[in-house]
Amino acid sequence: MIASSQFLYRLGIKTMLSVIDIDLDIVELISLEELRSYQQNTSESYFVIMSEDLLHYPRQECLNELQQTNCKLMLISDDENGNSIPGVEKITNSDSQKEILDKFQDFFFEPKSTSSGEASTTLSEREIDVLKTVALGLSNKEIAEKLFISINTVVTHRKNITEKLGIKTIAGLTVYALMNNLITPEEVQK
Amino acid sequence: MTSEIVSYSMNKNLPITPQMKMADVIHRDYRLIPIIGRFGIDFGFGNKSVGEVCDENDINTWFFLEIVNSYHNPQYFPQEQLQKFSAKQIIAYLSSTHSYYKDVKIPEIQGYIDEMEKKASEEHTNNVKLLNDFFKGYVEELELHLEHEDKEIFPYVIELENALEEGKISIDLKKKIIEEPIEDYERGHEDVEVKLSDLKNLIIKFLPPVLCKELCKKLLTELYRLENDLENHSRIEDNVLVPKVKMLEQTILEGSGS
Repeated sequence: MIASSQFLYRLGIKTMLSVIDIDLDIVELISLEELRSYQQNTSESYFVIMSEDLLHYPRQECLNELQQTNCKLMLISDDENGNSIPGVEKITNSDSQKEILDKFQDFFFEPKSTSSGEASTTLSEREIDVLKTVALGLSNKEIAEKLFISINTVVTHRKNITEKLGIKTIAGLTVYALMNNLITPEEVQK
Repeated sequence: MTSEIVSYSMNKNLPITPQMKMADVIHRDYRLIPIIGRFGIDFGFGNKSVGEVCDENDINTWFFLEIVNSYHNPQYFPQEQLQKFSAKQIIAYLSSTHSYYKDVKIPEIQGYIDEMEKKASEEHTNNVKLLNDFFKGYVEELELHLEHEDKEIFPYVIELENALEEGKISIDLKKKIIEEPIEDYERGHEDVEVKLSDLKNLIIKFLPPVLCKELCKKLLTELYRLENDLENHSRIEDNVLVPKVKMLEQTILEGSGS
């Protein structure tokens, strides 16, 4: 969910998300009221990236209301020296592109600190794509080129695959992929 | 008792002692059966004590006790005590462990998988065959690793110890210490350990139900036993043998003024 009153912010965030290959459903919202009504109507877990100017005063109270168990919050702030708020990630207008990408990576891929650390065990579609290529023996660089994603993203996917399946070696992942008919023996032999 | 280490002082709280009857050692922990076998000790020891049986078989009782006590209780690992024994003793034990893997444990596990493949219903044959190929790949790697130790590392270590004992240090040996120190060999174990863990997970989490359930359970149990044994084995190689060899290498280099 991207919440900002400014079109350029929303566009910029969407562009950055596509760079790190986040293929979640994106909802754009332009006011705090919209965000609240969305929150009331959803039970799925979701990420919110919002610009700070949407917050009402007092900000802390406003943030506390927004922080719900199924929501991970990131704030875009003008103030790089401002206090950090527990449970809320922050990017500032002075962050470089790389810093922002790194923060996005952490924001989306690190397990939520409030959860019990119980990761989902089913692979996402993208992870299955990556798994197939790993099982066929492609290198990270080759996978990145084939799937049009960055090497960093490949590494993150591989880490998640390994954590979810409990299988670390390429040979083991190949057996898994074959058992589940994700790839065929003929493909492996190529 | 072997006179090699007369003044040996073993932790007094350990459950297995020189006076304990050898039969009671097994009654206490049946997992020690293969360990005792590795020392070349056969059954039929009547009421003889551990010390007596070791003497008869020409085994250093203290070394035997440290090994069985640490296997019995993984929390107990007398790293420094074990380093005091001769490299020859340590290597004799490690080599016989290698033979146990190659001649007993691996063929046993291979037998289970082969039988499973034969008994699996048509739709599952392929899955079991995949596991079988994976296991064969694992065994190949493990055997290469064991062979490298048997043929390269162990003879090198014994050469070091002999050279120090005899005070004859050849130029070739010194060159080898400088060019290929034991340090280069450390941590070759991780890969094989990871593969074994993958195999267990493939069976536990992802193998579709097979007809021969009992065989599958036996297979899994033996994989755990092998893993457990390998862990204990790597622990001795990494924390006892390697530091000991580093010490031998250093003594030789310092003694010769290099």
